[in-house]
Amino acid sequence: MMKFGKNRKSWAIILAILCSFSVLTACSGGTSGGPAGTASTNETNGKSEDGKVVLNYWTWWGSETRRPIVEKLVDDFNKSQDKIIVKHSYYPFSDIFTKELAAVSAGNPPDIMMNDINTVQQRASKKQAINLSKYVEQSKVKDRFFPELWNTVLYQGEPYALPFNTDTRMMFYNKDDFKAAGLDPEKFPTTWEELDKVAAKLDKKDGDKYTHIGYSPQFNSDWNLLQLNFDQGRNFFDENGKPVVNAPAKAEAMQYILDNAKRLGQSNIDAFKADFGSKQANPFIAGKVSIWTDVTNFYTQIRDYGQNLNFGVAPLPENKPDSGHYSVGGGFVIEIPYGSKHPDEAFEFLKYMTDVQAQTYWAQKNFDNVANKEASNNPELQKNPVYKASVDNLAVTKMTPNPLFAPDYINLINPQRDAIMLGEKSVQDGLNQAQADVEKLISNNK
Amino acid sequence: MARTAASSQGSSLRRREAWQGYVFASPWIVGFLLFTAGPLLFSLYASFTNYDITSRMDWIGMQNYDTMFNHDPLFWKSLRNTLYFVVISVPLQTAGGLLLAVILNRKVAGIRLFRTVFYLPSILSGVGVYVLWMMLLSPSAGLVNLMLSWVGIDGPAWLTDPAWTKNAVILMKIWGAGGMMLLYLASLQSVPQQLYEAAELDGAGKLRKFWHVTLPMITPVIFFEIVTGMIGGFQIFQEGYVMGYNNDPGAPMNSLLFYNLHMFLKAFKVFDMGYAMAMAWFLFLIVLVLTLINLTLSKFWVHYEGGER
Repeated sequence: MMKFGKNRKSWAIILAILCSFSVLTACSGGTSGGPAGTASTNETNGKSEDGKVVLNYWTWWGSETRRPIVEKLVDDFNKSQDKIIVKHSYYPFSDIFTKELAAVSAGNPPDIMMNDINTVQQRASKKQAINLSKYVEQSKVKDRFFPELWNTVLYQGEPYALPFNTDTRMMFYNKDDFKAAGLDPEKFPTTWEELDKVAAKLDKKDGDKYTHIGYSPQFNSDWNLLQLNFDQGRNFFDENGKPVVNAPAKAEAMQYILDNAKRLGQSNIDAFKADFGSKQANPFIAGKVSIWTDVTNFYTQIRDYGQNLNFGVAPLPENKPDSGHYSVGGGFVIEIPYGSKHPDEAFEFLKYMTDVQAQTYWAQKNFDNVANKEASNNPELQKNPVYKASVDNLAVTKMTPNPLFAPDYINLINPQRDAIMLGEKSVQDGLNQAQADVEKLISNNK
Repeated sequence: MARTAASSQGSSLRRREAWQGYVFASPWIVGFLLFTAGPLLFSLYASFTNYDITSRMDWIGMQNYDTMFNHDPLFWKSLRNTLYFVVISVPLQTAGGLLLAVILNRKVAGIRLFRTVFYLPSILSGVGVYVLWMMLLSPSAGLVNLMLSWVGIDGPAWLTDPAWTKNAVILMKIWGAGGMMLLYLASLQSVPQQLYEAAELDGAGKLRKFWHVTLPMITPVIFFEIVTGMIGGFQIFQEGYVMGYNNDPGAPMNSLLFYNLHMFLKAFKVFDMGYAMAMAWFLFLIVLVLTLINLTLSKFWVHYEGGER
């Protein structure tokens, strides 16, 4: 009996210690899940049975709408020549980047990968993607891209990816609401100050509850967008890479959002925001909000769910007359992961994917802005006024690539933004703190 | 003479049996060395380097640990968040699970149905549950605040007010206490009936019986639940990643930035893997020390049937 008790106790100790090991190994359990794609493995050493080079191409575009478009382009490429076969594999967005990272570090990466446009430099500096300068010089593809997008793929002056698609944020507004409020539906306010006056005329109240809100900068947008617009297109770093988080214009942008929240009541804004999310309940499409900030791809939702919605689209307002209608864009690039066995062939596919034909097809089917200038200016596409406006807006759209010396700076800024929005800190205190935190991060990384 | 021969024969038999035992255990041992111990030691080494998975692994001594303790404000924030969560949620979950088990340990009609109902939440997991709770916890339209309003309480903005976000997660976790309930239920039913009878003969009432018979008899299970619950609590991650306000991990104001979430963001968003490994080892130390403290303290309150002391 005695012995039994002792054993049981020592087992408890061993068990407890083993359990605590799981602290260190837990991560490995979390990222399982096989490929959802159809890449078959009947090739050896990257060659198919008939001697063609087989390339693996990874994207996260598995939805009913996007996947057929991705695969149509792959199909067309495979048929257009007889040396290369591209195989598309789809992995969920939540998994694909860690999967690729693991594949690169194991020396067995896909040959072609879609990736985030704001982190190209990080991947280049960490040898996760290959240097394309040799190919780019030979093929002279550089000039087909918008310069702002081209800049995002450069690391130490050399390209490590090709821009694929992009987006830009604009103002969608309900023309019928404008008319009903006695406003000119063809004239969207040009400054933020004007916008606030216009918005106030569009509000509708029942008692002290809003049934309709003209505009709030917190609807599908926030200070991270407005600060760049107010600060003449400058993001959180100046041209020398010095953080400028507490610049006066950024504080003005914050104050603008706070003033709007004060006028409407933060709880009213929150109640509206609680309804956001599903497509049918989009407050702009449902007519609960008159002015809505979104990427221009939002047009497809209006087209599909908002029958008879009489809407217009306009650039973001500007801080002062002629200070600029700046907006923020994102997007994706296509690149060759480090360690690919067939970079020459992979670049052929990159070239094809960023050429006029594929880019035009992508733009027509997805209504995305694409990186290729000529495709963007395709006359068929430009017939759509929203598409035309979106391409025009690219001229004032800034990319915000993560700087190498502080790639996760935004995790230090967002909490201070939240603290200011919640009234726990003054605008200046919060932004000064964010500025100090980012400076500290930079010095840590040195 | 004969005696020594027999004993040496006995020890060679023992040795052979021990050897056979290791052979039978060898698949596990090989797996442990290759897939657990190997990576463990690797991560210990890498925590002293600037390892970024793909391009470098240079020895930088204690620099990661120095950054962690002295220069990274988010490290302390995430540690505080995690400690808060563990300190509040583990006792609540343990007590909640026990209470449920005691309530459900009755012979009334339909008890199986109730047991199933209360157990169900613990097998539902993942993002779906978080999304469900995000709807339940919505400040104006959510069911939780609606029910609070029936008793005259103006519910908080659970997931947007940084003072309440962790409590919201703790509340959600208690909902899943049914998993613990199952273990308690099993151990409650294995308490020998004669102990209760003996206590009754001595004139013990219901509460006394619970306090002096039931509770001591199930302390091994409570102990087990506390130790594993604590270890699990320190690993909280997904909740902060998924339930962050506006889809920002850990938002608002990093109130949901848990230790493992911070580690994940460092490892996989900015590829600071060496730093993340240093964080993992520090967490391991914390958990190891707390577990050893738990084991020491257990002498004073955990009752093992068979009476080892």
